[in-house]
Amino acid sequence: MTGSSLHDDPALLVHAYLDGELDPVNALAVEQRLATDPVLAAEYERVQALQHLIRERLPRETPSPALVARITAAVAPRRPRWQPSWQPSMRALAASILVTAFVASGSTWLALAPQPAGTVESAVVAAHIRALMAPQATDVASSDRHTVKPWFNGRIPQSPRVVDLAKDDFPLVGGRLDVVGRTPVPTLVYRHAKHVISLTAVPVDGSANSSPAGRRVEGYNILHWTDAGVAYWAISDMAAADLDKFARLFRTTAPDQ
Amino acid sequence: MMNVVSLHAGRRLAYEQQQSGDRRQQASWELPRPTQSGDAVSGGDENTRFANLVLPHLGEAYSLARWLTGNRADAEDVVQDASLRAYRAIGNFAGGSGSARAWVLTIVRHSAYAWLRKNRPAAVVGVEDLETVETAQARPGDPDVETPETALIAKTDGARLEAAIAGLPAPFRETLVLRDVQGLDYREIAEVIGVPMGTVMSRLARARRRLIATLGRSEA
Repeated sequence: MTGSSLHDDPALLVHAYLDGELDPVNALAVEQRLATDPVLAAEYERVQALQHLIRERLPRETPSPALVARITAAVAPRRPRWQPSWQPSMRALAASILVTAFVASGSTWLALAPQPAGTVESAVVAAHIRALMAPQATDVASSDRHTVKPWFNGRIPQSPRVVDLAKDDFPLVGGRLDVVGRTPVPTLVYRHAKHVISLTAVPVDGSANSSPAGRRVEGYNILHWTDAGVAYWAISDMAAADLDKFARLFRTTAPDQ
Repeated sequence: MMNVVSLHAGRRLAYEQQQSGDRRQQASWELPRPTQSGDAVSGGDENTRFANLVLPHLGEAYSLARWLTGNRADAEDVVQDASLRAYRAIGNFAGGSGSARAWVLTIVRHSAYAWLRKNRPAAVVGVEDLETVETAQARPGDPDVETPETALIAKTDGARLEAAIAGLPAPFRETLVLRDVQGLDYREIAEVIGVPMGTVMSRLARARRRLIATLGRSEA
């Protein structure tokens, strides 16, 4: 299929728009067309309904613990005389894989390569992974931002901006405190389908606003931006385009006090 | 093709016997070891890389294999085979900007189709057949462009949705699953399937329209 198919079928752009694959200029063009073309608008609604249906109702299956154990055991060297410490670590790995396979059915386990110590990013990534391996990713579990926001009050000097994105398929799951350096910082946890998103807010005095910039660390997408003196770090294993959409929604949705 | 299909039942039986033999004798499925002990470090490296790059994606590997083969037992065989292939090829994965997830899913997809060609050749639709299907259905008035009410789609239950996805031709099904179930972006899907992004887009749109048309039909 070549580029010409895009002109034959403008609806492909509607799909790409829903998938967060368009740059801002093309996204705007699609939005304008949707407003005036009822056929395209109907396609938009149907595909959106379908995506919602798949996220909410499609049964998910995880590999059986036996399969995971079989594959994990297969990479553990048999009786390695010269490396006695190896086997217990593989067992620990097997255990963590089982836990994660159960928790997330997705790509949520990661052994991070050593990173330059002390960077906010590595602290944020480590906190996200730790949270995924814990029984629950939050210290306070609530989809109500009027519960989550006050929870931070009294624990840290400045409670973060919390917005409700449930209608956009990014429901709030809760919040937790992470530690960056020696400073406790608030992290909001959102969900999108089966993917967990950690959004850490670090107050930074006098920093200029910056637009989201993305990076990829072994299967995780990370977005970093600064708004109104707060540096944000969003991390998830979902597609970069979906994380972009999340950041856009978070930044543009009003907390409607 | 017809000859192959008629042989299919017998071959499948032979395969199952062989498989159940394998299951009784677990040791027959194990990854190859580093050859000599002097090289212990490099063996450890391979295992570590495998643990870092492949194991985190086993859940998704299984999910894709399940959607491509259609059942659990076959999906497990495919994931085992793919894990073995990934282990052997772990040195080829460059890392860096490349996504380990897309790399692993590419191997799973190859394993799944190799398995299907061997055991259920009738289930594999050739790309040529598919392009015919695609062209034929690009015209308006086909089931592809049926337009049911959004409300009707929203009422579908999980089991019916699952059956409708399972009923899609493989090239449409894999594209839809990679995007809407597993959340890969277009670039990653193009990498996994080995087609241009434009093909990903058109297959995805067709897959969704077929699904919508199926779900919109009254439950018969």
